[in-house]
Amino acid sequence: MQITKFAIPEVIFGNGSIKFLASCALRLGAKRVFLVSDKGLESCGWVKQVIDLLKDAKLECIYFNDLTANPRDTQVHRGAELYLEHNADVIIGLGGGSPIDAAKGIATIVSNGGKVSDYEGANRISHPLPPMIFIPTTAGSGSDVSQYAIISDKEREVKMAIISRSLVPNISIIDPDLLVTKSRKLILASGVDALAHAIESYISRLASPFTEPQALNAIKLIAENLEAAANRKDPEALTQLAIASTAAGMSFSNAGLGVGHALAHALGGRYDVMHGMALPILLPSVMRFNIPSCKGKIATIARTINGASLCSIDEQAEQVCDTLQKMFEDLGIPMRLRDLVPNETDLEEICKVAINDACAVPNPREANWQDLLGICKEAW
Amino acid sequence: MSTNTSLTDLMGIEHNKLNFFQELQKNIEELTTINLQSEDQRREIAAILDGVTDVMMVLSEKLEIISVNHVFEELFPGVNPIGKTCYSLFRNVERACPECPAFRALSTNSVCKETAIFRIDGRNLQFDMVASPLKNPDLTENRILIFKRDVTLEKEYQAKFYQAEKMATIGVLAAGVAHEINNPMAAVAGFAEGIQRRLARLDESVPEDLADDLHDYTDTILKECLRCQEIVKTLLSFSRPIAADFLPVDINQVAKDTLRLLDHQLKKNNSIKLTTELITPIQHVHGDEAQLKQVILNLMTNAVDAVGDSGEIKVQTFIEGDNVGLRVFDSGCGIPPENIDLLFEPFFTTKSVGHGIGIGLSTCYNIVSDHNGEIVVDSNPGKGSCFTVLLPIK
Repeated sequence: MQITKFAIPEVIFGNGSIKFLASCALRLGAKRVFLVSDKGLESCGWVKQVIDLLKDAKLECIYFNDLTANPRDTQVHRGAELYLEHNADVIIGLGGGSPIDAAKGIATIVSNGGKVSDYEGANRISHPLPPMIFIPTTAGSGSDVSQYAIISDKEREVKMAIISRSLVPNISIIDPDLLVTKSRKLILASGVDALAHAIESYISRLASPFTEPQALNAIKLIAENLEAAANRKDPEALTQLAIASTAAGMSFSNAGLGVGHALAHALGGRYDVMHGMALPILLPSVMRFNIPSCKGKIATIARTINGASLCSIDEQAEQVCDTLQKMFEDLGIPMRLRDLVPNETDLEEICKVAINDACAVPNPREANWQDLLGICKEAW
Repeated sequence: MSTNTSLTDLMGIEHNKLNFFQELQKNIEELTTINLQSEDQRREIAAILDGVTDVMMVLSEKLEIISVNHVFEELFPGVNPIGKTCYSLFRNVERACPECPAFRALSTNSVCKETAIFRIDGRNLQFDMVASPLKNPDLTENRILIFKRDVTLEKEYQAKFYQAEKMATIGVLAAGVAHEINNPMAAVAGFAEGIQRRLARLDESVPEDLADDLHDYTDTILKECLRCQEIVKTLLSFSRPIAADFLPVDINQVAKDTLRLLDHQLKKNNSIKLTTELITPIQHVHGDEAQLKQVILNLMTNAVDAVGDSGEIKVQTFIEGDNVGLRVFDSGCGIPPENIDLLFEPFFTTKSVGHGIGIGLSTCYNIVSDHNGEIVVDSNPGKGSCFTVLLPIK
């Protein structure tokens, strides 16, 4: 067995757990907190609630919300300036993947200097980051437990993956109550993102006995609860999704992902599409491409979703791709790549970008850009 | 770039979540090094300061002592000076001394010097003081650095040297004068004797009363010539180098010789009445005639100064037990009781500037001590003083 590593932050999980935010911040030595969130969360009232919690604890709060979905390097740089200008000391990220990744980018720049692009790739951060507390409001990104941050470089039209153990926050506070205000589309997109994290990290070449159970648990919980959570906002289902998302995050943070996420990042960089909407389109084709390298594992995924089966391993593996396709279609998710990408001729360029994405590295089956183009064509 | 990312990179087994512990460690290491350096510097500076042999004090604007060096502790053993005022320790007074160089140093922002005499532990010590302003923008209040160098010994030596030099000059002068005076005196005396010899032959041819007159005149000429020669001799003996051997000395003779030198000064002032009571016979003492003359001269000079325009001075010799004594009384102004203890301290003087530096009585004291004798003073302010010198009979 290869030597492996498993690292996660302190996780505080449970309904209402957000009330521990101020005491967590104080324990990390906070006096002036830098809060990163976005306008969507302001309208739900969560930002105000967080600021009130901090105020009650006599903590100063510098609020930064100049963010879009798929946060941009320029936005991160502005945030870092604001942080330094106010001499803040602890960073709190509140939201889905975008504010949390932006918070990670800001933390990196304030302590290491330079530009976000200086840290693209693995292990390029050389100075400690300010203490970070993340509060995810979607059950999907897993960014609140992972060592990944994805920041868009608008100039090059790519999503940069920054990978560093220093990006793992000090504390992640996961309160499923925060999920109820999300739209159906956002719950679906996040859930599918989490499912993709679980599946890709499960079959990853870096998967370990510590990540695999987390991944399978996530797959099972998402398959069972996604529909109820999205269509009915069932609180119990949402809680199970939050567990699943965190488990998937623990898995992919340590085991890595695959070409599915590499392609989704490339598409997101080019067209600013919602990350969670690109993944369901690509996932069945990606799995089918990987069957030759990890037939047994894909069959295990199949049994996790569909239950015990008398079919052969080959048949099970083949079936699960269709099962996923049908599940996504039933949930009304657009399932053709042509719905997202205006022009089929762009695909070649997208695949050439994706093959260089760090996420593609642990993919179980060796792939070149032509292989990726094949996957895209299949999903077109 | 991401193209180089490997599986090992993604696992990042050799990469931790960086925390501030490493940075702290680095900072502590740097601080430790810097601390060692500054400690070395501190020790070096402390060693330099310890090498300073002057009293060194840092004072506040109110002259409160902020820090002192080890020389201070030697001068004031067992005293904690921090927070006390400079003047309360050195002068035992309530307010700052008007001549203090610290104020000038601060107001002129320059290094100021001053000389002062402080009475410390029963001794008069003379100090050269140097005050430097310590103006520092980081300090809320200005400070003053003061060095005090004990120059008592140097000043004593200097005074003695002046005295010796003065005496040596007188010696040279006296030798010259003696030569120049003795020759004509010898001629005058010789011719006077010649006249006397020839007078015998004239006795029959001149009237008797005229012959008596001539005898009388020539006798007077001879007597006065002798007196001149005596004075010159006294002058010579008086100005002999100080380090002479001790010889048997007749204190009466010493007193007479010294008084003869003052004859002129006393005669000039008729209202001073000088009486002498010299006891005879008197034993010889073992001593240096010139030095003992100086003692009497100093005592007489003080007495003349004390009586001023009119009064009495009495010089007395006596025998008391195993000692020969000499007393000089005066009916002058007397000495205030608070000054009695200070009389024999070098540089103590009540005379105005230019009339004495306060070395006379201290010289007397040293000379008498060298003769294993003692000198005591008794005084009634307003009525007069009496100095008594006792010298052992050998």
